[in-house]
Amino acid sequence: MDQKNAGLNISIFFCQQIDPNQDVNRRALERELGNRIRFFPLPCSGRIDSLHLMRALESGADKVYVITCPEGACHYREGNMRARKRVAYTQGLIEEIGLEGERLELIMAPAGLPVNIDELARDLLSSEATTGPSPVRGKTA
Amino acid sequence: MITAERKPISEIKEMIAPYKKILVVGCGSCVAECASGGEKEVGLLASALRMDSKASGKDVEIKEMTLDRQCVYEFIDQLTDVVDQYDVILSLGCGAGVQAVAEVFPKVHIVPALNTTFIGQTKEAGLWIENCRGCGDCKLGFFAAVCPVTRCAKGLFNGPCGGSKTDRCEVDPDVPCAWQLIVSRLEDMGRLDLLCKVHPPADWSKQQGKGPRKIYREDQRS
Repeated sequence: MDQKNAGLNISIFFCQQIDPNQDVNRRALERELGNRIRFFPLPCSGRIDSLHLMRALESGADKVYVITCPEGACHYREGNMRARKRVAYTQGLIEEIGLEGERLELIMAPAGLPVNIDELARDLLSSEATTGPSPVRGKTA
Repeated sequence: MITAERKPISEIKEMIAPYKKILVVGCGSCVAECASGGEKEVGLLASALRMDSKASGKDVEIKEMTLDRQCVYEFIDQLTDVVDQYDVILSLGCGAGVQAVAEVFPKVHIVPALNTTFIGQTKEAGLWIENCRGCGDCKLGFFAAVCPVTRCAKGLFNGPCGGSKTDRCEVDPDVPCAWQLIVSRLEDMGRLDLLCKVHPPADWSKQQGKGPRKIYREDQRS
């Protein structure tokens, strides 16, 4: 099976502060998985907005991750706390239309920055089986 | 500012269920400030509704548009060229906006996506509080710009009631005692003399009992 067409569509919004070399590190995984994975680097996870998450799901993502700095280690003090609130709000919104809140997940990067976004993403991909394809994807409107 | 909150999506879905082409219309004024009906909220709601219809296999078209104001004809007129393309307008305006749009387009079904709540202020990010009842007979000049009708749980014109504890209202300890604020502020400005005035009961006929109120100014008319 062509790996690029297998499995779920994943969108990853992440704080650039966790991996200064993210621009290079994520390329290999992007080439490997093609459209199946989409990275959205943010200057700070506090930049994330509910609308970004909704658009990602609407565009066909089965699962959306927001990766932030570790708790207490946000470069801009509390951006990761704001990201957590926005993810929680958006989970409530998608649950209102019958989607599982788990389709959105906030991950705090492990302490001891920097991390490699490629390795972190591969770890997340290996645990993706808990979420199935989104009902938004695959049905013709 | 007029504040509002989004209705549950289940209620919104019920109202738009008969329709295939839906225009979600926001308002860039009050409800944008209180994060319930601006361009971003239009995007969130429209996105949620599109995903819901797609997941249900329904053939529904949902578009977005935000007016600077939904309660003024000059802004509502921006809908004129597009309104015929839709079966229903889902308005994220306040109750005044919904009705103003409906008046301009009497043959189009306009449905509200928001519950209009109160006149208030943005106290801090994510917190809005009611501070005006629109009573039509403002007395703020006597009360150091703290409205006892709205902010005192008992609506006392001639307070305080004596029940506050550590500056907090006895009815709701989360709320500062309006009369404590009034007295403190008048003291700070050296105008405690204003408290000597005894205020008669409010004339509520200026707010209610005569149907919808109106303001008419000849000098503002064309």
